[in-house]
Amino acid sequence: MTGLLNRILVQAFKHLPWLGEAWARRYPFLRVAGIPWAPLRKPLAECRLALVTTAGVHLTNQPPFNMVEPEGDPTYRAFPVDTTRELLTITHDYYDHTAAERDLNVVLPLERVRELVGEGIVGGLTATCYSLMGHIDGRHVATLASRTAPEVAGRLMADGADVVLVAPA
Amino acid sequence: MGLVQRAIEERGIPTVGVSLQRTATEAVRPPRTVFLRYPFGHPFGRPGAVAEQRHILLDALAALVKICVPGEIVDLPYRWRRTDFAAAASPLRPPGERWWSRVA
Repeated sequence: MTGLLNRILVQAFKHLPWLGEAWARRYPFLRVAGIPWAPLRKPLAECRLALVTTAGVHLTNQPPFNMVEPEGDPTYRAFPVDTTRELLTITHDYYDHTAAERDLNVVLPLERVRELVGEGIVGGLTATCYSLMGHIDGRHVATLASRTAPEVAGRLMADGADVVLVAPA
Repeated sequence: MGLVQRAIEERGIPTVGVSLQRTATEAVRPPRTVFLRYPFGHPFGRPGAVAEQRHILLDALAALVKICVPGEIVDLPYRWRRTDFAAAASPLRPPGERWWSRVA
């Protein structure tokens, strides 16, 4: 029953934009101070791009994101950017990933970024992709902000990322 | 998502985010965003729609170059399942401009 209700809610949020709007207007977002800013220092054609997704993508042999915890799973998964499609899966009950299962580029455009690297529009890609699960609530918002996000940021630094694209689900 | 983006930018790496929910993005205030009025689960469009995926990806990357005001959200004009991406003009990438070869 809970599963069915969840599936109905996921479809409602997908097809009725005002529902997402109503949710966002009531949601107690973490209050943030200021807007961080790092200027772009070199052309994209010379930059190493890193990808971060919150679409719940992970390697088939990695532990799936926790779908039981009602406040979401604030952990992340890392996988090589050149992982073949068959080795990736999606664990995320809070959006309809039918389309993403058919073509992962819909949420994580790995093939498209490789094409741009081939054309010289993007300088290159960092070796590792980072993936989170977007549905974070309650106490786990603080876990995400204070632990997971800084850890992922530190790893992106170590990876030599010059620019980062962050994509939702 | 915006919180992760903010944390990365705080470490000194320029970031851009794709948003499907503008109100949430306005609340979390990430540094650079392209907003798309698309259903959840489709930040780069439809499966198999290579031109659409590429177009949105290029817009997001162009925002890294074009957005100079912290917190700016660029509204992408594309309409779900209606826009013809073979002919669509980008608000961030004028034809003929080599935006990827320059800084701001």
